[in-house]
Amino acid sequence: MDESTLVRHAMNGDAAAWEPLVLAHQEAVFRLSYLLLGDPDDAEDIAQETFLRAWNYLKRFDPARPLRPWLLSIASNLASNRRRSAGRYLAALTRAFRNEPITSVNVEQKSAQHMEASDLWKAVQTLSLPDQQIIYLRYFLELSVTETAQSLGVAEGTVKSRLSRALNRLRGIIQQDFPVLAEGHEGRKV
Amino acid sequence: MTELQQELFEKQLVSIAKGMEYPRTPNIAGTVMKRLHPSAPLRFVSRRFAWSLTVILILFTSLMLIPPARAAILEFIQIGIVRIFRAEPTPVAPPQQEFPSTMIPVTATPSSAPLIPILERLAGERSLEIAQHLVDYTILIPSYPPDLGPPDRVFVQDADGNMTILIWVDPEDPSQVLMSLHLIPPGSWAVDKMEPARIQETTVNSRRAIWAVGPYPVRFSNGNMDFVRLIDGHVLIWTDDEITFRLETELTMEEAVRVAESLEPINQ
Repeated sequence: MDESTLVRHAMNGDAAAWEPLVLAHQEAVFRLSYLLLGDPDDAEDIAQETFLRAWNYLKRFDPARPLRPWLLSIASNLASNRRRSAGRYLAALTRAFRNEPITSVNVEQKSAQHMEASDLWKAVQTLSLPDQQIIYLRYFLELSVTETAQSLGVAEGTVKSRLSRALNRLRGIIQQDFPVLAEGHEGRKV
Repeated sequence: MTELQQELFEKQLVSIAKGMEYPRTPNIAGTVMKRLHPSAPLRFVSRRFAWSLTVILILFTSLMLIPPARAAILEFIQIGIVRIFRAEPTPVAPPQQEFPSTMIPVTATPSSAPLIPILERLAGERSLEIAQHLVDYTILIPSYPPDLGPPDRVFVQDADGNMTILIWVDPEDPSQVLMSLHLIPPGSWAVDKMEPARIQETTVNSRRAIWAVGPYPVRFSNGNMDFVRLIDGHVLIWTDDEITFRLETELTMEEAVRVAESLEPINQ
């Protein structure tokens, strides 16, 4: 049974049809939430809330469209709201004050590839939230321009122009603050 | 940045981002489905209580019917999660009972009682595609006999592990089950077969298999409860990759083995 058929069943209240859809998209939703929040527990909360909200608002969804961008847009909005909450703001300030990385993973134990990815993530985290969202969707989750536009609710042309500006800013940050990443591990210069 | 530089930069970003370490994705689907049905645990408790009462009655009745000599079980054979108990041959007087539960192990018995009403009360009916999404093992279906086709009914039941039950209905008598195949993952309920009329060892794809001929009571149990059902069909039991298969059919053993050896993933 294809996705649009499952969505139609779910729109008619068939929760059994919703379960395989959650299974199919839970990883992408969780990962985007994790990228935006940097905390697995928060990411799990947001991912659950995403699928519950999507279920409640499913009548508004066009089943002819792919589900993933819509789910990611809900997750992105929920994660943004969570970031703006006072508690997370203070937590972020505390982390910044201690100059600790946003995750508790021991960087020294990571392979070079993982270190590069971790450095890139840290560089992206210094950007504005809209820049982060578009970069995570396009390059971390590897959505197409069309899917990214659907997730953000903007035109494809807008995605391209926003990406161009976000990439310029990211490149500047990498060159200034992440010289190792700019030089590149394993010969991959950014 | 020129267009070419941007394109190169984008490719490098994708390449580096592939190395991102994410925490393991939690079971969001399970939690979401539970939250969509907040009253489910309460229903489960009450259903479990009802089962327990029924099981107590059934076991009590069974004990009253079984002569003392039959309690002397000599040995049992274990294959997968299934244990087959053998005992001194004595007349079988198993209980005849209806199960009020919606979770009744379906059997392909040549009983005169139509089985379809039981199927209508069986929980967890799914399409084959959705069933495959719900279980973490590959659902296999027989490609023999060639005209068998996909199962007519598919059920996924939580038996401390998602057990899949595939049902083929007799085309000449749709009120009867022609064949059923249970795919039981590890950790599921134990299945005890009590004193089948005949047991024979055979192989399925060179692996040990057991052919049991009814009638005999079969007991499904876990740590909390168990219940008994009379089987008078034939059952082929074998394991493959930690999954225990039970094929219930009226075919001969040789034909049942051919069916078992013809299993293929559902999309082939």
